Amino acid sequence: MMDNQSAALSPVEILIDAVGHGSQVALQRLYEIESRRLYGIALRIVQRREIAAEVLQETFLQIWQNAAAFSHERGAGAAWLTGIVRFRALDAVRKAGREVPSDDPRLGDEAVEPDVIDKIGASVEADALRRCFKLLDPKQQRCIVLAFVDGLSYSEVATRIKAPLGSVKSWIRRGLHSLRRCLEQ
Amino acid sequence: MIPDNSQELRILAGEYVLGVLDAHEADEVAAALAVNAELRRAVVFWERRLHPLSSLAISAEPPSSTWLAIEARIRTKTAKPVAKSFWINLALWRWSTAGFAAAAAALALWIAITPVPGPNLVAILHPPQQDQASWIATAGRSGLVLRAVTTATPPSDRAFELWAIAPGATQPRSLGVISPNGELRLSRLPADLRDGATLAISIEPIGGSPTQLPSGPVVYIGSVKAV
Repeated sequence: MMDNQSAALSPVEILIDAVGHGSQVALQRLYEIESRRLYGIALRIVQRREIAAEVLQETFLQIWQNAAAFSHERGAGAAWLTGIVRFRALDAVRKAGREVPSDDPRLGDEAVEPDVIDKIGASVEADALRRCFKLLDPKQQRCIVLAFVDGLSYSEVATRIKAPLGSVKSWIRRGLHSLRRCLEQ
Repeated sequence: MIPDNSQELRILAGEYVLGVLDAHEADEVAAALAVNAELRRAVVFWERRLHPLSSLAISAEPPSSTWLAIEARIRTKTAKPVAKSFWINLALWRWSTAGFAAAAAALALWIAITPVPGPNLVAILHPPQQDQASWIATAGRSGLVLRAVTTATPPSDRAFELWAIAPGATQPRSLGVISPNGELRLSRLPADLRDGATLAISIEPIGGSPTQLPSGPVVYIGSVKAV
């Protein structure tokens, strides 16, 4: 069982492990593999290239400092990195305020399509999320995507979709509740 | 404001991971993470389960200067002490119930074989995001003994250094560098070490931090309890 687990560690987890042991070369390799993905996540949230670049710097500094405390579990590396970049981006938005979303399609500010969940790729985790996400009603889906992908707070989601704050809160909370029950099965 | 009800707790963790909470609520959750193992597990659950959604953001090429900037900042950061606020957060750490249960057997054994007569202070140290007991410190009038209970080796060309933060203090004080065999002994009880203090282990250059404060990441942490 242990052997299976070690064999299934992806290059990302192996690199994080090496970074935790002080390898700057491993950090650079991790940057080569993950920087475009993480920058895209940051850019979608902060909407400004120079701030997204700053967020990416902060993210890799945090990876450098915290990699030794990362717990090695299969498949968790990419999610760990995503968590760091999202929190840094949300922090930057709280400090600097948010840009009004531009129409520049390169910034990925497209409207949330009804079947957007079909685009989340193919992995065991993505399949489970897709299956469970489809049990939510469209409003719940849309609010959760706006919060997670665009990094909008409750009140920002309410403004964006022109719905009362109380309704948005209840849609998201009920959506999370249903998602958890389905994902835990 | 952190709910006791486990369902509510999991929804709150989901809201935290989504990022919908206001700054005050998010700070409250972040502080509670240090002391609430169930909340930590719930946050990890959502981070992993919602992670596929992040692929909806389109990858993009960062400015070419970004890596050089990171490299430069790492070089200046390595000799820089950890920010004070970090230590204030650390002081919030307490034993989690799960961590205590996991370590209880090892602790009983350890107290029985410790050469320090009548230890009355005990700390179980674990990695910040996990409950696995990794080090046990016992202390009393005749000093302190710290010993690894799992295999814990520092990166090559680095050493573990033990720090104490007195209750209410914002700055840690070094108790010394841990020898490569995973043990540290002090013949006198440090003044900072009392019930409610925090012990932390950081990764440092061989010989210890070049400053008065930890210069590397904190990899183990635990609260000191009177027994």
